[in-house]
Amino acid sequence: MDKLSQMEVMKLLMQLAVMLMMGRLFAEIARKLKQPTVVGEIVAGIILGPTILGMLSPEWFEVIFPSGSSGIVLDGFVQVAVVMLLFIAGLEVDLHIVLQQGRQALFTSTLGLIVPFAIGFLFPYVFPEFFGFANGDHLAFALFMGTSMAITALPVIARILMDLGIFRTRMGMLVISSAMINDLIGWLIFSVVLSMIGKSHQNISLWQTIMLTVGFTALMLTVGRGLLNRILPWINKKLAWPGGLLSLSLAMCFLAASFTEYIGIHAIFGAFIFGVALGDSEHMSERAKEIIHQFINNIFAPLFFVAIGLKVNFVTNFDLPLTVAIILIAFAGKIIGSGVGTRLGGFNWKESLAAGFGMNARGAMEIILGLIALENGLINEKVFVSLVIMALVTSMTSGPLMKWSLSRNWIK
Amino acid sequence: MSFQKFRKIGLALAFSPRMEAMMAEALRLVLAYESSLVLVHVGAKTSEAEDKVRKLLSNYQLDLNRVKVVWKQGEPAACILKACKEEQVDLLIAGALKKENIMQHYLGSVARKILRKSNCSVLMLTNPSASPHPFKNIVVNAEDSAYVEEALKTACAMAQADQSNWVHIVREVKLYGLSMASLDDCSEDEYNEVRNRLLKSEIENVEKMLQAIPHQGLKVNIKLLSGKSGFELSKFAERKQTDLLIVGASPRKLWFLDRVFTHDLEYIFQDLPCNLLIVNPSQRKEGANG
Repeated sequence: MDKLSQMEVMKLLMQLAVMLMMGRLFAEIARKLKQPTVVGEIVAGIILGPTILGMLSPEWFEVIFPSGSSGIVLDGFVQVAVVMLLFIAGLEVDLHIVLQQGRQALFTSTLGLIVPFAIGFLFPYVFPEFFGFANGDHLAFALFMGTSMAITALPVIARILMDLGIFRTRMGMLVISSAMINDLIGWLIFSVVLSMIGKSHQNISLWQTIMLTVGFTALMLTVGRGLLNRILPWINKKLAWPGGLLSLSLAMCFLAASFTEYIGIHAIFGAFIFGVALGDSEHMSERAKEIIHQFINNIFAPLFFVAIGLKVNFVTNFDLPLTVAIILIAFAGKIIGSGVGTRLGGFNWKESLAAGFGMNARGAMEIILGLIALENGLINEKVFVSLVIMALVTSMTSGPLMKWSLSRNWIK
Repeated sequence: MSFQKFRKIGLALAFSPRMEAMMAEALRLVLAYESSLVLVHVGAKTSEAEDKVRKLLSNYQLDLNRVKVVWKQGEPAACILKACKEEQVDLLIAGALKKENIMQHYLGSVARKILRKSNCSVLMLTNPSASPHPFKNIVVNAEDSAYVEEALKTACAMAQADQSNWVHIVREVKLYGLSMASLDDCSEDEYNEVRNRLLKSEIENVEKMLQAIPHQGLKVNIKLLSGKSGFELSKFAERKQTDLLIVGASPRKLWFLDRVFTHDLEYIFQDLPCNLLIVNPSQRKEGANG
């Protein structure tokens, strides 16, 4: 087995330290400004990366983040971080709430998914050059853009609803459950789109991919969930807590991720669906979920989001018309789709508009989606930068807009 | 005491070893609530069967004008529910196994079918006794649902009638939302503050509901639980060694998918922690017989 040299080990450790420290520093600044921590972490990456440090002092940038073995290992960390982030995104999905909300959640989420997906698909399909499409699969590109408009950031929404004190209201639960359905279907579509471009996967047809994706989801949520319900009590009782649960649940997450990668669906999908199955088990306590959240959100998430800024130059790849267009499409699709869906679900227009603003937050999920698309050559760096900016703008404006729309006589 | 909600009590009668115990339990409630009794038997109306029922009734001092026997033939659960509808039964009493095997769970036994599909309230007895006791330790679910107030009202009225020692009112608190929303963005103090605010508001919600319900003389314990609702409720009832768990019915009929993606009531049906009362709003038309 090849080994890193002493110097490479030292540099890798230094990189991790710098990324974690800068990530934390800027996350705290974002927190003081009442913004999601992910905003601060991405800013930290932009400062450390080619956009600022690489431009002001290329030598220092090369010293801290040299290309070579330590860079490859760092990239490995980032890949693992993506899988883990999708795992906790899955843990956050609560099928029980989705079933409780029933038809109403289905209305809001279906329209909140279809409308942004349709608008997000249509414009890039009709004007591919404007949206930075050069070569490759035109349909897959447009489908990806549609998916990227349809996704919703559950934690950001939960935070907004908590801040507004409406998390437990009928509308709060509706928005949360709709966001869960959105995420579930959104990642399902994204996995299919990814396999359409066929990079690094076996040659399987679109229908085979769809069947495999749906089949894997159904199997994990029925048989897999049943097995987890039998294994978890044993783990909780016989093994050290929370060590046993933590290591085995992550091991099973990696197994599911590698399995989906093996059968031709992206690894993130396996991690996500495993997270849903595990989170839905009645034997997975809130305390255990919190520990997993803490572990991943405070170590791997900052590494991932800081790494975003390291990968791309946000100044040279900034395209104002493209960014404005993407932001407008994102706002229009989600607010109209989710708003009309909520209205059809029996709420008044004011509440429906608020639900639309809430569902508009894209947060970290959009950035993960964008990075995977970038790495698979589905989009270029300009589109990626626009998507990151859109994710940040929607996350930062979602709360104030929702508050504004509900400011007059909110009735529980 | 006349219990307005349960003016007519139905008993699903099977000729089993538990028949007498079931009858005794039903009669305790019939006498306590001054209700009338409808015995529903699914099976052929033979002279032998009629003799058995007659003999059973003769064991008790009953006003036979207030007892009606209904004979039905066909699929047991459907027949029992049909009879309850025809007779405008307010509360159906039936016996159930505490836990069923996996096949029974997915296919649905008679008892579980009744629980899932009944339009009237259902009391499932897991361990009926020939010398029944009042319900001394009652747990009631106060999670937001269609019939939560009906369930609370019923629990308080039954506890008053039985002079219960405790009524535990259980409400689910969605801590997962708190974790999701606060873990990254809150300091420890902020987290605790948000958490305490959340818990306080949930207790206030229960207290607000209780204000409209008579509960004089009852010892009430409000308990907040986090986790999967239904599952945690069931575990709590087991821990407290409750003799009756009361929950509001599901506003829609539960079906196969609800068993596959188990949630809420299905967790309780999977493994009954004690006797279970599912409260449905009264179907009775005003002025109807009984």
